[in-house]
Amino acid sequence: MSAAFQLFLQQLLNGLTIGMVYALIALGYTMVYGVIQLINFAHGEVFMVGAYLALTVITVTLSVWPGVPFGVLLILLFVFSMLGASLLGATIEKVAYKPLRGSPKLTALITSIGVSFFLQNAVMLLYGSKEQSLPEIIPNIQFHFHRISFSLMQTIIFATSISLMFFLAWFVKNTKLGKAMRASAENGEAAQLVGISVNKIIRVTFMMGSALAAVGGALFGLYYGSINFHDGYLAGLKAFTAAVFGGIGSIPGAMVGGVLLGVFEGLGAAYISSEWKDVFAFILLGIVLICKPSGILGENLPDKV
Amino acid sequence: MKKRFPLLSIFLLSALSLILPSVAYSKDSEVVIGLAAPLTGDQAYIGNGVLQGAQMAVEEANSKGPVFGNTKIKLEPLDDQHNPTQAVLAANKLVSNPDAVGVIGHFNSSCTKAASAIYHEARVVQISPASTNPKISRQGFDTFFRVCATDDVQAPIAAGFIFSKLHLKKIAMIDDQTTYGKGLADEFEKKFKALGGEVLLRNGITQGEKDFTPLLTKIKSIDPQLIFYGGVYPELALLIKQSKKVGLLVPWMGGDGIKDATLIQLATPEHSEGTYATMLGVDPHSLPEAKDFVARYEARYGEIGSFSAYAYDATNVLIEALRRAGKKDRETVLSEVKRTKDFPGIFGKINFDANGDAIGKSVGIFKVENGKFKFLEEVKPID
Repeated sequence: MSAAFQLFLQQLLNGLTIGMVYALIALGYTMVYGVIQLINFAHGEVFMVGAYLALTVITVTLSVWPGVPFGVLLILLFVFSMLGASLLGATIEKVAYKPLRGSPKLTALITSIGVSFFLQNAVMLLYGSKEQSLPEIIPNIQFHFHRISFSLMQTIIFATSISLMFFLAWFVKNTKLGKAMRASAENGEAAQLVGISVNKIIRVTFMMGSALAAVGGALFGLYYGSINFHDGYLAGLKAFTAAVFGGIGSIPGAMVGGVLLGVFEGLGAAYISSEWKDVFAFILLGIVLICKPSGILGENLPDKV
Repeated sequence: MKKRFPLLSIFLLSALSLILPSVAYSKDSEVVIGLAAPLTGDQAYIGNGVLQGAQMAVEEANSKGPVFGNTKIKLEPLDDQHNPTQAVLAANKLVSNPDAVGVIGHFNSSCTKAASAIYHEARVVQISPASTNPKISRQGFDTFFRVCATDDVQAPIAAGFIFSKLHLKKIAMIDDQTTYGKGLADEFEKKFKALGGEVLLRNGITQGEKDFTPLLTKIKSIDPQLIFYGGVYPELALLIKQSKKVGLLVPWMGGDGIKDATLIQLATPEHSEGTYATMLGVDPHSLPEAKDFVARYEARYGEIGSFSAYAYDATNVLIEALRRAGKKDRETVLSEVKRTKDFPGIFGKINFDANGDAIGKSVGIFKVENGKFKFLEEVKPID
């Protein structure tokens, strides 16, 4: 393999890694949009809270059990940040969006921006405005193939994200709850008529989306090693872009959109200029919206936000 | 509901009685100094160090009695979140207060530059403790002063250090595209090339970005001897960490914006080992004259911030000018600041040139050793 090609593959891997995280967050945007046609701008903040929950779990666990094997710690932090975030997701839905059901869509949209500000500032007050560093709990093991290196951390990101995505796909397709979800997304009123509690479905959707974002947040925190209360903003915006890119409302679309966005950004930053990194994401979105307004895998729905 | 009204009115009346006297007295008992810095956001830590330095100066001055007549000084913190838009809002808020005569700030060059026009328009004297971009003082605003060295002093010293002391000739450069980061990198590049050094690659990043692996992987493939970074510590911490992960094991160097203990904490002591930084002036801990100040500061607030001493100096210059002015008048205070001569600051005598820049400020070079910024040497600029 030529050196240039190896470099290309390395950059591709870098892009795929962050793309996985984008995909996890994008799923929450797309699922919520699917059931209540709301762009939940507070979703990026749930992701950020997930990262802070992971930090808390690590700190607490390490203080009571200093020699904890990292695998156990990893499972603990995933479980707790998922639980915490789904609780948060359900609360946000109940407090902020449920009272607004039936009101104009813009009202809920603006409310979600308000929730986003609230969460950012709440975390700032709780944890302080300083950048927080996460202890490096994953051993720094690198796998090499020719000159391409791949770390254990990246492997964990891939494994976790891919298995969660498969689980979600299976869940939505095969379980009763998943079928009810799809029914509610298809037509809420009709779903209600056949005995599906749409309110419950909406709550479950919020919880699942939040749990996925929390895993994304935990992985993000572990990968970069430092988190800040406004990390949710940019990551949320990118994931939202990914969701629209893939076709908002479509679950496979969010996965594909997230991964592709990460790859485009990575390759753009490497081969064109890193100054334009954020611009690539939005140029891409612009092109897709012009050429195929419903996104890559989206259906052509008449309603728009 | 009716029953609550008497209680409520009593409460309101008593609240009113608390407010009224202060309104009546504030007319001539208070002179306001603004302190503008990023007090929230990702640079809040360093911003609060600036605030504490200024707070200490004001408290010490007030404890000695009124600055003139029966007037005490009030410090008004203004948060610019290191965002130029917020900086302009904060500046407008301050100048609209008739009691305000001066401001210490801002911290980031981009904010200082954006707000300086507003202070100039309102004739409010501005002393920045930390903004180093050379262009700020060349806008023709006579209200602008600073107590720190500028990047056209700092960056050439960094370039000379890398080229002549470390004997590294091939480097890569990254900047964060802000007024400060880009300005510092520009000055550095000019000097480094003039010395005969080679810049293999220069690229920008965006503040707030987290993933730099694509850029670092690219830099690794061109194999530089050192990477110079123009910017502030939160991004550099990530850059350093990620560079080790992609196997790019070269030292980093930056300016005053990275010389903060948080950098080492975020990037981990292990990874940040060997990182160089230039700093405006020396380490206050290493100065016998500053010993007393450092002790007082650390007893009150804990570990001293990188810019706390500058904020303390800047505030004292302004307080001294207020004392000489003897009245709450913006023009008089401004002309008194201009007249500052040999003011005894923490790092030596403070004098301003015609642009408002501090004269003869030296630059210190630091290196991370055993998880701490260690002072290496002091370099006097040659003009």
